[in-house]
Amino acid sequence: MLSAHRLELVMKGVLWLTASVVLIIPVMMAYDLMINGFSTLSLEFLVSEPRNSGRAGGIGPLIISTGLILFVCLSVVIPLGITCALYLSESVEESSASGKRISLVLDILSGVPSIIFGLFGYVFFAQVLGFGFSILSGGLTLACMALPLFVRLTEQSLRHSPSSYRQAAEALNLTHVGFIFKILLPSSATGIAAATIVATGRALAETAVLIFTAGYVTRQPESLLDSGRALSVHIYDLAMNVAGGTKPAAATAIILVMFLILINGLARYLSKRWLPR
Amino acid sequence: MKRICTVIASLMIAISLAGCSQSSSEKLVLTGSSTVAPLVAEIAKRFEALNPDVRIDVQTGGSSRGVNDARKGLADVGMVSRGLKVSEADLRTNTIAWDGITLILHKDNPVQSLSKNHIVDVYTGKIKNWKDLGGVDSPIVVVNKAEGRSTLELFLKHFGLKNSEVNADIIIGDNQQGLKTVEGNPLAIGYVSIGAAAYEAENGASIKLLPVDGVQATLKNVELGVFPIARPLNLVTTENSTPLAKRFIEYAQSQDVGDLVQEQFFIAANANK
Repeated sequence: MLSAHRLELVMKGVLWLTASVVLIIPVMMAYDLMINGFSTLSLEFLVSEPRNSGRAGGIGPLIISTGLILFVCLSVVIPLGITCALYLSESVEESSASGKRISLVLDILSGVPSIIFGLFGYVFFAQVLGFGFSILSGGLTLACMALPLFVRLTEQSLRHSPSSYRQAAEALNLTHVGFIFKILLPSSATGIAAATIVATGRALAETAVLIFTAGYVTRQPESLLDSGRALSVHIYDLAMNVAGGTKPAAATAIILVMFLILINGLARYLSKRWLPR
Repeated sequence: MKRICTVIASLMIAISLAGCSQSSSEKLVLTGSSTVAPLVAEIAKRFEALNPDVRIDVQTGGSSRGVNDARKGLADVGMVSRGLKVSEADLRTNTIAWDGITLILHKDNPVQSLSKNHIVDVYTGKIKNWKDLGGVDSPIVVVNKAEGRSTLELFLKHFGLKNSEVNADIIIGDNQQGLKTVEGNPLAIGYVSIGAAAYEAENGASIKLLPVDGVQATLKNVELGVFPIARPLNLVTTENSTPLAKRFIEYAQSQDVGDLVQEQFFIAANANK
């Protein structure tokens, strides 16, 4: 039999091991990217157009395309998602029939493989609505994909707002709308920001969806109806289709990761500022 | 809330502006093979530079999609990285380049060449160990292409195999994935585009190209037309294609883009004419 002390030591070791494995994976990934991509990185790389299928040149227009796709996606996801989450947390009982039904639909949607959303977007936005291969189609399809996740996370953070806030608001005879805008939303801002980061991460990482909707064109987009290649699609194409594309693929990946970290920081900063003092 | 309203309002304005800014310029859309797309995208860039009023959008998604989109009119021109099938005779093909396919092994593998029968036996699982082929005493890792890939169809056709007979350990998609898989596994055998494989091998990748039917796997031999597994890279259109599409296809087949074809490690269609 293991003594309690020994068991404790073993468990401690196991926990340390798992924690360090979790830490090692991103470090290894960053190391690999840096080894392959760092020599290619330069200011020139950030602003110039890709040449020779991306082996030379840069990723300037692709950064703009990615930014626009994300902009379209988030400007649909955030207002629609917060409204939907508010409805779920304020008007529907979690255990009621309609509450359960909506939760089930959201859970199923967030588990659907992204290629299904890609094919849906390709048929619905690109063909039926006639947006074609465009940043608009891509952004809207990503929005469909990220929305369920965003609603779920936002709803949870709204539900976790302390009930004492609600009681105090009622004691002060605040209207429901006043309570939502002045107290509930600001106090859940950190959670909403976290949900936005997760949705952004999912959108930026997506490749399959965007090949079918936003497309493959590397030209600088002039409008939301132009096709534009996202950074993730570029990385995929360089790594899978272009001989000699490993270095620019890694360099593009470094930029994409930095993009994510930047958005992460920005969202944290904004949510802190929104918090009531 | 105000901020959200601003965002929505600006989005609406952006969309409506986008609608207006669609100028009168001519537009050409190509979709299809992911092998052909990088080449055609480069050709398109040069064509655009010569014809400033023309805009060409190149999309990818696979040869089958190229055929479908060209038929349905979703694309003006489809890109197909193989010859057309009998069932696709309604389309017109225009070959812009040639590509060869060869078998590759890890550099450290002592096996130098394999006969046609050996390759068939390896892929059907009759030979399972490298020692039967003069190599080390270890199991062979067979790398095959995913269903629907043009390279797969070409490979099966040359060796007289059916995909259901192939006993694969790893199924891969794109060309570079095949190269990376074999590079990372000294016991693997796979097949990929010659040009890309030769380039990677010259640049330090741990792979070697096997001759097929005794013919060395070089781009030169594809160009001479003596390499046994070659495929055309085609642009396909329906009977009634637009004048712009015709102009672009003519340009893509001309000498003016020979250097671009070479940069993508293919053989220009007019090289041996």
